[in-house]
Amino acid sequence: MNFDLDDQQRDLASAAGDFLASSTSLADVRAALDAAATDIAVRPGRDQLLSSGFATITLPEEVDGGGGTVLDLAVVAEQAGRVLAGPSLITYARAAVLLAGDTDRLRALAAGEMKVAVVDGDGPVLDALGAEQFLALRDGRIVIGGGTVDLPDPIDPTRGLGRVTLGDVEVVDGSGDGADAQARWDRALQIGRVILAAESLGAAARSVEIGVAYAKERQAFGRAIGSYQAVKHALVDAYVAVEELRSLVWWSAWAADNAPDELPMASASAKGVAAMASQLAAETLIQVHGGIGFTWEHDAHLYWRRAKVDRFLLGDDVAAFDEVARLAMAGAAS
Amino acid sequence: MDFDDTPEEASWRSTVRSIIADNREALGRRGAGRGYDDPAARDRQALLYDNGLVGVTWSKEAGGQGGTPMQQAIVDQELSRAEVPGLVNLIGIGMCGPTVIAHGSESQKERYLKRLLRADDLWCQLFSEPGSGSDLAALRTKAVRTDDGTWRISGQKVWTTLAHVSDYGILLTRTDPDVAKHRGLTMFVVDMKAPGVSVRSLRQMSGGSDFNEVFFDDVEISDDERLGDVGNGWGVALTTLMAERMSLGGGGTDIGVGVGAVADHVAARIADLPDDRAAVTRQQFGRAYAESLAIRYTGYRQLSAISRGEMPGPEASAGKLAGTRVARDLADLSVRLLDDDAVFARDSGGDSTWQDSQASLPGLAIAGGTNEVLRNVIGERVLGLPAEPRADKNVPFRETIAVATGGSESAAKGATV
Ligand SMILES: Cc1cc2nc3c(=O)[nH]c(=O)nc-3n(C[C@H](O)[C@H](O)[C@H](O)COP(=O)(O)OP(=O)(O)OC[C@H]3O[C@@H](n4cnc5c(N)ncnc54)[C@H](O)[C@@H]3O)c2cc1C
Repeated sequence: MNFDLDDQQRDLASAAGDFLASSTSLADVRAALDAAATDIAVRPGRDQLLSSGFATITLPEEVDGGGGTVLDLAVVAEQAGRVLAGPSLITYARAAVLLAGDTDRLRALAAGEMKVAVVDGDGPVLDALGAEQFLALRDGRIVIGGGTVDLPDPIDPTRGLGRVTLGDVEVVDGSGDGADAQARWDRALQIGRVILAAESLGAAARSVEIGVAYAKERQAFGRAIGSYQAVKHALVDAYVAVEELRSLVWWSAWAADNAPDELPMASASAKGVAAMASQLAAETLIQVHGGIGFTWEHDAHLYWRRAKVDRFLLGDDVAAFDEVARLAMAGAAS
Repeated sequence: MDFDDTPEEASWRSTVRSIIADNREALGRRGAGRGYDDPAARDRQALLYDNGLVGVTWSKEAGGQGGTPMQQAIVDQELSRAEVPGLVNLIGIGMCGPTVIAHGSESQKERYLKRLLRADDLWCQLFSEPGSGSDLAALRTKAVRTDDGTWRISGQKVWTTLAHVSDYGILLTRTDPDVAKHRGLTMFVVDMKAPGVSVRSLRQMSGGSDFNEVFFDDVEISDDERLGDVGNGWGVALTTLMAERMSLGGGGTDIGVGVGAVADHVAARIADLPDDRAAVTRQQFGRAYAESLAIRYTGYRQLSAISRGEMPGPEASAGKLAGTRVARDLADLSVRLLDDDAVFARDSGGDSTWQDSQASLPGLAIAGGTNEVLRNVIGERVLGLPAEPRADKNVPFRETIAVATGGSESAAKGATV
C-alpha cells in the first residue's frame, strides 16, 4: 500500500498552482461580484483553462486530451479551489464521461469550439455562464442541445451559476436503447462530486492558512490572538477537518480510476464531508478576523460564498449522507 | 497511489492468515468481556506471541520480530477481520515497552520485554497524580537516593489503568525540586508487588473499575531499575508520550465502538421507524460513517508515511480528536435506537453494549492527553501558532509550589498554571 501522491502528481500540483495563481486573482472575484450579473467573467476562463491543458486532463489523447486520471484532475482541482478559479473542472470532468465515445464532440470540447454545461433536473446550473451547449438526462437518455440561460444575482460569482431552459436536444448516449445511460450519468455525477470535493479542499485549506497567518500577527491584550486557545482550537478543528477531507478526496479519486465498486460510497462521503469542512473553515476564517472578516473588502467572504454555494451543488450534504447510510446498511445486510 | 499489497506484504498477509486459521479455535472470538482479568485471554496472547504476531515491529533482541509498521498493520487488520479478541495490555505494549527499549539497560530488556509481549506480565503507566495530569511535569512523587545507592519512593499516582492487576509499572518521579520542573524528574521500573505499594480501585462513571489510585509508602527501588539518567525523566517520558500518540492516533474508526456493528444495528432497526425519524437517523449515521471513513484513510496516509521512514509527528493526534467525536456520535445514535431500553440501561434484558460504550467514551477525550491539550500541541507544533504563556518557565519547582500554595509546600494541589 502506498496511499500518497507520487512525485509527478506533486509536480502537477505545483505547475497548476503557479498557472492558476498567475491567471486569476481574488480581486477579479470581487470585481465580478460588483459587476452586473451579465458582465461577470470568471477567471481564468474557459479558453485559458483549455490552453493550459488542465481542463482536459481526463479526455483521451486521441481527441487532444491529456489521457490522465481522475486523481490527476483532482490534484489540479485542489489548486483551482485555493484561488477560487472558474469555470469549474467539474464541468469538464462530467462532460468527459457523458460524451465518452463521441469523438467529434470530445474533440470540439477540447478545442474550445463547444462550450458546455451540465443540467441537473431543473436546479441551478454550474458554469451556465458562457455555455452554448447543455448536457442533460431526459427520459432516461443523455441528451445535448442549446438552451436559454438566465443569470440571476449569484451568491458566488465564481461559479457561473444560472438557470437553463433547454431548447431542442438530441440523444448522445451512443447507439442502442440507452440502457446504460443512467449508469453513465451516475458515474459522471460521482466523478463530479469527487472534483467538487477537491475544489472544496483547496478552498478550505487556503482559508485555514489565511486564518493562521492572521492569528500570528494580530495582537490583542498584549499577545498574538493565536496564543489564545479559543482562537487556536478553532483553527485546529478546521485544520483537522481539512486533513480528513483530503483523505476522502484522494480515496474517491483513486476509486474513480481503479475501483468502480467503491466510487459510490467514496464520492458521497467526500461530497458530504467537503460541505461540512469548507463551511467550518470559511466561518472560522471570518471569526478569527473579527470585524475585518465581516467587511466587503476582506477576502474571507469570497471563501464563505464558495462554501455556501458548493454545499448545494450536485445534491446537498443531507442527500449525500443519506446515500452513505443506505450504502453502509446495504453492505451490513449482505 | 495504490492500496495493493506489495509482494512482500501479500506474502506476509497470507502467512498471518494461515497462522490464524491454524489456531482459529484457540484464539477465541471477540466480545468475551474484559481480557486482562481472564487468564484465558493471557494464554491467547501468549499463543499469538509464540506464533510471531505480537510485537512485530520490535527488534529481535527486544523479543519482537524486527518487522515493519506495515507488517504490524497487516497483523492488526487480519486479527480484526477474523474477530480475534484484542491484546490484553495495550499500555504495556504500546507505551511501557517502547520506553524500556529506548532507555532500558540490557539486563532490563532481557528480563522484561519478552514476558511483557507474551502477557506473562502486565504493565501499567504511573504518570498522572492528583495535582498533575495535563501539567505532567508538576508531579510530586518523590524519589530520594539513600547512602547505599537504592532509591526510596513516596507519593501518590492516580487514574492508573490496570494497576490492580499489573506486575510492573513505569514510574515518573521527582528527584530534584530545586531545578525547573522538567529537569528534576527521573523514571523507574517499579515492581507493583513490592512492599509499600498499595493500589485502591476507582469506580468509573460506567460502573466498571479499570483504573486506580496507587500509593507509594517508602518503596525501595534498586538503582538498576532506573530508566535513563537521573534528571532525564522528562526525556524518557516524552518517549512514552510519543509512543502513546502513535498507538492512539492511527486506528481511528474503532475507537470505542466498531462502525460496522453500528451499521448492523441501524439496519436492523430502521425499517420499524416512522419515515421522518428514519430519514434523520440515516442522515446522522451517514455523516458519522463518512467521517469514520475519513479517519480510516487518514490512518492509511500516516501508515504510508511511516513505511517511507517518516516519524509520525504531532499531526497523528488529529485522528484521536476526530475519532473520539465520531465514536460518541455513533454510540449516541445507537442508544437512541434502543427505544425505551435506552433509558433502562441496567434491565434492557441482555445487550447493554451501546449503553456501556456510551458511558466509556467520555474517558477517551481525557485519557492519553486531553483533547484540549492535543489541540494545543497541534496548534503550536503543526500550525505554528504562538505558545501558551507559561508562568513557571525556568523557575525552580520548589518555588512554583510556593507560589501556588501561598508558601506551604504541604498544602498539596500542584502548581498547575
Ligand atoms: C480512562 C482513563 C485512563 C487513564 N489511564 C492513565 C494511566 O494508565 N496512567 C496515567 O498516568 N494516567 C492515566 N490517565 C490520566 C490522564 O492522562 C489524565 O486524566 C489527563 O492527562 C488529564 O489530567 P487531569 O485528569 O489531571 O486533568 P487536568 O489536567 O486537571 O485538566 C482538567 C481540564 O482542564 C483542561 N486543561 C488542563 N490544562 C490545560 C491547558 N493547558 N489548556 C487547555 N485546557 C487545559 C483539561 O483539558 C481538562 O478539560 C487516564 C485517564 C482516563 C480518563
